[in-house]
Amino acid sequence: MAIDRTYYSIDPEGKLQCMKCRVPLVKGKAKFLYLGNGFPVELPVCPVCGFVYVPEELALGKVLSVEKALEDK
Amino acid sequence: MPKVRERGSTHVYKVNKISKEEVDSMVARCIYEEPPFCNAACPLKLDTRAMLKAAAAGDFKKALQLYEKATPFPLVLSAGCEAPCEAKCRLCERGEGLAIRAVEQAVARFGGPPRAGSVFRTKKKKTVAVIGSGLFALFLAGELEKKAYPTTVFCEQADAEGFLRAAAGFLDEAAFALELERLKKKDLQFVFGCKATAAFLEETRPAFDVVCVSEDVFTELFPEAAVAPELMFCEGETLVTGSGSGVMSAAHNAKKAALTVDRLAQNLDPANMRGQEDPFQSRLYTDLSEATDLTRVPAAGELYTREEAVREAGRCIQCHCEECMKSCAYLQHYKKYPGLLGREIYNNTQIIMGDHQLNKPMNACTLCGQCTVVCPNGFDMAHICASSRRNMVSTDKMPLAPHEFALMDMMFSNGEAFLARPQPGFTQCRYLFFPGCQAVAIAPETVKAAYQDLCSRLEGGVALMLGCCGAICDWAGRYEMQESTREFLLNELAKLGNPAIIAGCPTCRKELTESVGGEITGIWDILDKIGLPEGARGLDRPVALHDACGARGDAHTQEVIRRLAEKLGITLAETEDSGDRSPCCGYGGLTAYANPEVADEITQKALERSDAPFLSYCMACRDRFARQGRESRHLLELIYGTDAGAPPDISEKRYNRLTLKKELLWELWHEETAEMKLDYELHYTDEARQLMDSRMILTDDVIAVMNAYRENGEAILESETGLAVACLRIGNATFWVKFTEDGPDSYTVHRAYSHRMNVVRREG
Ligand code: SF4
Ligand code: SF4
Ligand SMILES: [Zn+2]
Repeated sequence: MAIDRTYYSIDPEGKLQCMKCRVPLVKGKAKFLYLGNGFPVELPVCPVCGFVYVPEELALGKVLSVEKALEDK
Repeated sequence: MPKVRERGSTHVYKVNKISKEEVDSMVARCIYEEPPFCNAACPLKLDTRAMLKAAAAGDFKKALQLYEKATPFPLVLSAGCEAPCEAKCRLCERGEGLAIRAVEQAVARFGGPPRAGSVFRTKKKKTVAVIGSGLFALFLAGELEKKAYPTTVFCEQADAEGFLRAAAGFLDEAAFALELERLKKKDLQFVFGCKATAAFLEETRPAFDVVCVSEDVFTELFPEAAVAPELMFCEGETLVTGSGSGVMSAAHNAKKAALTVDRLAQNLDPANMRGQEDPFQSRLYTDLSEATDLTRVPAAGELYTREEAVREAGRCIQCHCEECMKSCAYLQHYKKYPGLLGREIYNNTQIIMGDHQLNKPMNACTLCGQCTVVCPNGFDMAHICASSRRNMVSTDKMPLAPHEFALMDMMFSNGEAFLARPQPGFTQCRYLFFPGCQAVAIAPETVKAAYQDLCSRLEGGVALMLGCCGAICDWAGRYEMQESTREFLLNELAKLGNPAIIAGCPTCRKELTESVGGEITGIWDILDKIGLPEGARGLDRPVALHDACGARGDAHTQEVIRRLAEKLGITLAETEDSGDRSPCCGYGGLTAYANPEVADEITQKALERSDAPFLSYCMACRDRFARQGRESRHLLELIYGTDAGAPPDISEKRYNRLTLKKELLWELWHEETAEMKLDYELHYTDEARQLMDSRMILTDDVIAVMNAYRENGEAILESETGLAVACLRIGNATFWVKFTEDGPDSYTVHRAYSHRMNVVRREG
């Protein structure tokens, strides 16, 4: 069995809800894709419709720094 | 919606937009690394500047260490050196040059007692003999010891004191005692009481790898033999030898001889690889305007005291060429002289795989051209950075992120907000007014007033074109977009019958001259000719005139602007670095988008020149200065009595462009534009507005997210804040909006953010 290596992981801890499906978000599998590179991550995801949530801190923190690093490759 | 293609990641193209030769010749213009004049004149290559700096700081120990790098016997040298450095000191051009030798003497005396070399020093394998005595032999023995050759001195004197006296009997007692101590501490073998005969030489020679003899010994034994003076070498007798009529030439020749020994010991041709051994003329430039201390510190006694030497050394102005770095906040930010930074930026473009660490500085230069004017050799950083950007684009390595917003803004100016019409009542016009995209965005009222004025006072009709000249894609290095913009503008101009262009902005004028060509007049020229409109009035306080980068090297424009200011009754405050030397406002080169931090530093530096309100003739300059809170006016605002007021944020800029287009279409051409109305209410908190401006998120982006939400109902509820969060991928970025739903059709936006990374669901 392949080891699931995850680059980044956030647990919604029940604090987020999908407004459309009216269910709490759960920790789910997602992928960052940029400039031909991909990284597996775990983010808050709606178990019903599959909406993936990128919190502001993540967008301005980790995501931005990975973007910058890839842009200058 | 127009879109700029993101770069690929796997392509490896090699299309050079800047050649290595071009960079080499440019880098060679930067003289930052040239030695100071005193140092270039010194045959021993003493780092005079550094030594004087240490002495001026009172650090005689360090000063002596630096001096000893140039000579093994500092007291002997400083007592008798002819000091050719002194005549070359730049201070001589204004007054008295530095008393370098007198400071050296103080350094040699006060720099601390002689120290023995480290016992752990590894010695070389090859051995050297020095036969004879005198200055040359003394210095040569010292140089060889410094190079770690096991060296034996054979001399006729009975002891070390005799050997030193034969060379430097002229030293005073204290200096002699100190130098004798130094000689004794050196790792040298002595054989005293030798008579240097031919037999003695033959007997000694086999034990050594290289043999050196003094001039006296050599002429006595081989009166006929020839010596190559540059090498201090007699090939026929395989002997290293040299002369020295004075202390300096003995020391210099000993250095050359030591290098010859070095080469011979390694079985290499002594004539090769010798480097710069003689004095030369430095290409350094020094600004002497700050040299005020022009008289030598007198010595109370025969020699300088410690204090006197410190004061005299303190007169050294530490010759350096930093002309560009003094004026350019960008170079100051990166703390590198342009020869080095330019080279690194070029090398950055040549990286195929791996990190492009110089992308930031490459994109932070405003391409303003100030350095080329202030540099005594015309170093052109803008050329290096602009061609490097094009190179990155051509090799598909240029990230889109730093410039995407500006490029989209340009496409907006030449798309949705574009307008081209002949003057009402004309089918073909003699002129066309091109105010520029920034003027339309920042001061739409002023643009309107100017256009109406031109229409009413110029014969033959004035067409109008609201759009971007293409400077944006030029600065971004997107040469293909530049070409398509050129074609687009040419086509639009042709539709209007190719009227004569009147540019509202010096940068547009420059850009259009290069792209669409022809004679392009500035509006300032027209107003100078036809006179100011009624009611034109300047400010009642003195103002600082800021010359635009677009008018650099354009004496005519600069002159006309000043004449208009005078006609307006404006008093111009004395402003340093004006005219061709003017710094950039921070907008040029898209620095404000790619590197807002550096752009702010550049704006600050430009504003530091004066406390007065700033007057400019480029709308981007007006905007940059106003953003920093300075009272800032565009010449046209004063001419037309308009006031663009507080600087607009990025969404307002777009709104201004659309609104002006709509207004003009309605008022002048009686055309109605379809109104884009939201069927719901959208409010913004102040915080949301600020975040959007600094994060380059437009109200249009937020509206698109909200429209999508209203359609699909997809959003997240944050229980901690009670905010709903919706998102939408637009072009190359995903936009997120945090909002509250105040009523059935009413929302308040609290925050907004975006990222370029695509985030998708992963199965498994
Ligand atoms: S001012 Fe100082 S660095 Fe410049 S030439 Fe004179 S001694 Fe040398
Ligand atoms: S910002 Fe202007 S002065 Fe500074 S390096 Fe670039 S072109 Fe030269
Ligand atoms: Zn859902």
